[in-house]
Amino acid sequence: MKAAGLAIALLLLAGAAPAQQVKWNFDKLAARASDTVDVSLSGSLLRLATKFLSDDDKDEAKVKKLVGGLKGIYVKSFEFKKPGEYSAADVESFRAPLHAPDWERVVGVHSSEDGETVEVYIKNEGKGIGGLAIIASEPKQLTLVNIVGAIDLDSLSELGGHLGIPEVDVDKKK
Amino acid sequence: MTVLEMPRRAPSAASGLDFASLVRQHQAMVFSIAWHLLRDRAVAEELAQDVFLSLHQHLAELESPEHIVFWLRRVTSNRALDVARRRQRRPMVSLESSPEPVAVTPGGDPLLGTALKKLVAALPEKARAIVVLRYQEDLDPAEIARVLGIPVGTVKSQLQRALALLREKLSRVVGPASGLSPREE
Amino acid sequence: MASLEDELRSALRRREPSPDFTERVLARVSAAPARRAPQPWVRWLAAIAAALLLAAGGLEYRHYRGERAKDQVLVAVRIAGSKLNKAQKKVQMLTHRSTS
Repeated sequence: MKAAGLAIALLLLAGAAPAQQVKWNFDKLAARASDTVDVSLSGSLLRLATKFLSDDDKDEAKVKKLVGGLKGIYVKSFEFKKPGEYSAADVESFRAPLHAPDWERVVGVHSSEDGETVEVYIKNEGKGIGGLAIIASEPKQLTLVNIVGAIDLDSLSELGGHLGIPEVDVDKKK
Repeated sequence: MTVLEMPRRAPSAASGLDFASLVRQHQAMVFSIAWHLLRDRAVAEELAQDVFLSLHQHLAELESPEHIVFWLRRVTSNRALDVARRRQRRPMVSLESSPEPVAVTPGGDPLLGTALKKLVAALPEKARAIVVLRYQEDLDPAEIARVLGIPVGTVKSQLQRALALLREKLSRVVGPASGLSPREE
Repeated sequence: MASLEDELRSALRRREPSPDFTERVLARVSAAPARRAPQPWVRWLAAIAAALLLAAGGLEYRHYRGERAKDQVLVAVRIAGSKLNKAQKKVQMLTHRSTS
């Protein structure tokens, strides 16, 4: 009886355990980058940021709704002076944590126009999404995004055409 | 910026070392803002000392190293602007007679640099402060707006106008072949 | 070719004050006159005023932090949205090609 109670408690704890940030190591790349964008928001700072998003501004109100329930937002974007400053092995080291069973790669595309490869991963949590990871690599830039929490990908996509996000041209013939 | 353990109360003699470290860490920033706004070394040093004296008195109110930097930039800029406005009525010290303080990191074209410094010194006070905070402290317009307590739109428009003015005046001072390429804002 | 902005950064780079600047600041801090203990009611007023100032200063910094954090959220959403839409656009192009 006691053992069963303990097992149930452990299961409940496991279910209640907060989604974790992907553990990426940026030291090597940071040293080589000529410019870095670094966003790291979680907990009270993320909640504070949400309070400062305006309900009167349409775009900010959408973002407020999008990020409202999130636990963390992490973005690192490295720019390099010339191509070849990071290797395939570097990119593979960022993919490694996403090989875990609860992560699933949903999209992997390569553009020959600008040489950019974009991979999108989602973290499965029960019946929903518990996180998002994006690895975008181009010759002189490497971007890593990790969003912790139940992110609505459709809402994120709908921001296209706003906030400087390019719009997706649907059904464009080439 | 390194993280410092900040004393939560006004420093006592025992924590005098912490305050001294703070002064050493930020003296170049504070002095340089004052110097670039006033172009008078003696006045800039005096103002910088006053700012640190005030910092000592207000230290307990400041929450973090980042808050301290924000506070120092804001107080230094605003006090320097007050002094600059008062000095407008009095004859300016000639830039040639004011000895150039030593730069933290050397570099750049000295002749062009001298011409630019004079032109920046001739800008109206608010525009001068915006240019100094933008290019000395590498602040973006939103941060400059918060430091100076003015709308971000004002910062952007004043910055654009100041750069256009500097570009035009510089081409007259050093000639059209100044070697400066236009840059997208 | 250097840009005006690069030249401005170079011309406006930070300068050091005099070598004895720190010592002079510390000397002024030590020389600041000690105040006599005020009347009790003055101390209460001062404590209330200090608490209000502290609250105001704290609020002001909270506002500053909140605005900075908001800017970071917008940057993050812009970057994430851009990359996601790029992938989506490519998928749609490939889908369109394979069905046409």
